[in-house]
Order: sequence, then C-alpha cells, then structure tokens
Amino acid sequence: MNIYPTPSFYCSIARLGGPALAVSAAILIAACASTPPPTDQLAVSTAAVASAVGAGGSQFAAADLKTARDKLDRANVAMTAKDYELARSLAQEAQVDARLAEARANSAKAQKAADELEEGRRVLREEMDRKTK
Amino acid sequence: MNISRTLSMTVIALAVMAGCSTTPSPNARLDEARSNYRMAQDDPQTRDMASAEMRQASDALNKANDAWTRNESPAEVDHLAYLTKQRVLVAQEVARQKNAELAVTQADAARDKLRLEARTNEADTAQRSAEASQRQAASAQRQAAASQGQAEVSRQQADAAKQQADAALARSSQLEAQLRDLNAKKTDRGLVVTLGDVLFDTNQAQLKSGGVRSVEKLGLFLKQYPQRRALVEGFTDSVGSEGTNQDLSARRADAVRAALVNLGVSGDRIATQGYGEAYPVAGNDSAGGRQMNRRVEIVLSAEDGSIAPR
Repeated sequence: MNIYPTPSFYCSIARLGGPALAVSAAILIAACASTPPPTDQLAVSTAAVASAVGAGGSQFAAADLKTARDKLDRANVAMTAKDYELARSLAQEAQVDARLAEARANSAKAQKAADELEEGRRVLREEMDRKTK
Repeated sequence: MNISRTLSMTVIALAVMAGCSTTPSPNARLDEARSNYRMAQDDPQTRDMASAEMRQASDALNKANDAWTRNESPAEVDHLAYLTKQRVLVAQEVARQKNAELAVTQADAARDKLRLEARTNEADTAQRSAEASQRQAASAQRQAAASQGQAEVSRQQADAAKQQADAALARSSQLEAQLRDLNAKKTDRGLVVTLGDVLFDTNQAQLKSGGVRSVEKLGLFLKQYPQRRALVEGFTDSVGSEGTNQDLSARRADAVRAALVNLGVSGDRIATQGYGEAYPVAGNDSAGGRQMNRRVEIVLSAEDGSIAPR
C-alpha cells in the first residue's frame, strides 16, 4: 500500500473541509497544482463521442449523445480554466455517456433488423398456410 | 529538509487517520450503482453476452467502493458511482444488441428453413400433381385404346354391314337387270317372262336358238334365286282344232321345262300347263294378233315360291 495518498485525495479533503483543512492547506495547493492536464482523457472522450455519432447515436440515442457532448464541452472549458481535476472528471463522464449512446444505437439497429426479419417470417408463414389450404 | 519532511509526514498521517477513523457515510448513488450491478450480474443474459462490458462495470464499481471506503469526497464517490452506473447500462445494451443479432441469425436460418419447407411442399405438390396427371394420362390412354378397339370393331361391323348392303344392292340391281334382260313384266300373279312365237318353229315344240338363249337366261335366274319357282304356261292362237292347240301348247311348255332342267334347275321347281287357245292376249282376226297369242309365259314366283293361280 502506497503511503502517499493520491493528489485527488488531498483535493477531496480540501473540498470536504473540516479540521484538517487549515493544516493541509499548504499541502493542498502543492497537491492540486500537481494534477496533470487530462489531455489523453480528453482525446479519448472526443473519440468516444465521434464513435457514438458514427454508430447512429444522433438517431437512436439522442439524449445520451447530447449529455456526452455537453460534458465534453464543459471539460474543454475547465481545461482552459486550468481546472484539470474538473476537466478530467467531466471528460471521464463524457466518455461513458458517449459509450452508452453508441451501445444504445447499436442495440436499436439490431432490434430493428430482428423485428423486420420476424415480420418477414410471419408474412412468409401466412403465405405458406394459405397455399397449403 | 528532514524536519519539514517529518512535519509533512505527520500532517499527512493525521489527515489519513482523520479520514480513516470515521466510517464512511452511506452514499445513495453508490448504493444505487451497487444494486444495478448486482441485478445485471444476476441476469445470465447480460452476464454471458456482455462479459467484457460487465468486467468494465465491475472495475468501475471497485474504484467507487474504494473511494467510498477511503472516505473520499461525496462528489468523487458520486462521480465514480455514476461511471459505474453507466457502465452497467452499457453492458445491458450490448447484451440486448447481441441477442437481437442472434435472433436475426436464427431468423435467417428459420427463414431459410421455411423457404426450404415451402419449396419442398411446392415440389411435393407439383410431384403429386404430376403423378396424378400421369395417372390420368395413362387412364385416358387406356380409354382411348379401348375406344379405338371398339371403333375398330364398329368399323368392321359397319364394313360388314356395308358389304352386305352392297351385296344386297348388287343382287337387287342384278336381279333388276336380269329381269329387264328377261323382259319380265310385273303382273298381279308375279313376274312373267313371255317367250314369243318366233322362238319355236311353226307348229313345232322345239326351241330355236333364240329361244334357247332366253331359256338360258331364265335358267341362270332360277339358279341364282333358288327360292323362286316357275310355272311355264303354253298358249296358241285359235287356228286349228282345240285339241291340237291344247297339245301343242302343253308340249311347248314341256320343252321349256326340259331345257331348264337341262341347264341344272331342279325339276320340282318347274311346273307346266298348257292352255291351248284359252287366254288370248290379242285378237285372233289379224296375223299380228295371232302371232302374239302364240306364246309361252313363264310366271316367276315371289321369293317364297308361291304363285297365285290364274
């Protein structure tokens, strides 16, 4: 076990407030300042949104896609404001939201195909029944 | 730097102990995420068909649980719980997608099977229909053959009947021709052939060649129609005595009969009678009349052989 807690740990405590606040204030500044900019995460999230669009998310999962886009936009704003913790957090959520939009689009398309085939099968069965009468 | 490092570490240790000393307060979002994950995990469909996605959800849940155990900020725990929740939903959607794709594959297979079944049915129906048509054709053929056979028989029968009719016609026309040839006249007693006086020498009973020829025709006729009989009647004019005339007429009739018998006509079919001067057909006061009276008449019977008396 690592005895040095993660920077987020310090940031969390800072937010929580409490008795340790004043003590760890100095540590806090140093800790939060060392959060690297989540450039990789933002790239991954941007790609995830694009992938969701490509899978037909606009048509089949518009709400999830909108959520993902909004969070990605807010993440970029946070990046510009150098609030890397927020940027990372929003980017992570944008990524899963985009992934969900994509999964919903894929399953909707597959279900549509299955329904169409079932309908076709039903029509064929009806025809056959008519013929054999 | 040793003091400041020790100071840092002490502060850190205190902070850590402050964080770890209290039990983490319940986090509603985390509870929800745990519950969602459990439900997804309990569903065999989601578990089996989206195992990779469920692993990602499991990782996210672990991170969220750790954060909560370490008493990280509620915001952080919320955030990680949210990520978990979304990951569980992704797994469920992927399971749905794979299920639908499986159904499509199965539907394809089912449709192919149905199509095959339909085609097999069609083929069977077509085969049965073809067999039925074949049987019908064979039956029709047999019927046609039977009809043909019958038609053949009928034709043969018709041919035979026609032949009979033709023969009858030929016979009747032949008969008519013969009767014309014989100069037979129809009377109420039957057909009468008259042999004139020129066929005999004067006062003689012997047939001359012309007479023989006439009798030959008569003979042929009688042989051809065996049912018919003949009555030969002799007549004279009034010149000379009745007795002589009677005798002469009878002898001439006999001569005709003899000639017929000579030709092969059976004697019991020919009767003779002499009438002498009786039954003249013309006046005896002229030469022509007298010649006409000097005659032999042969009465031909009907087909049944009957001759009405004079």
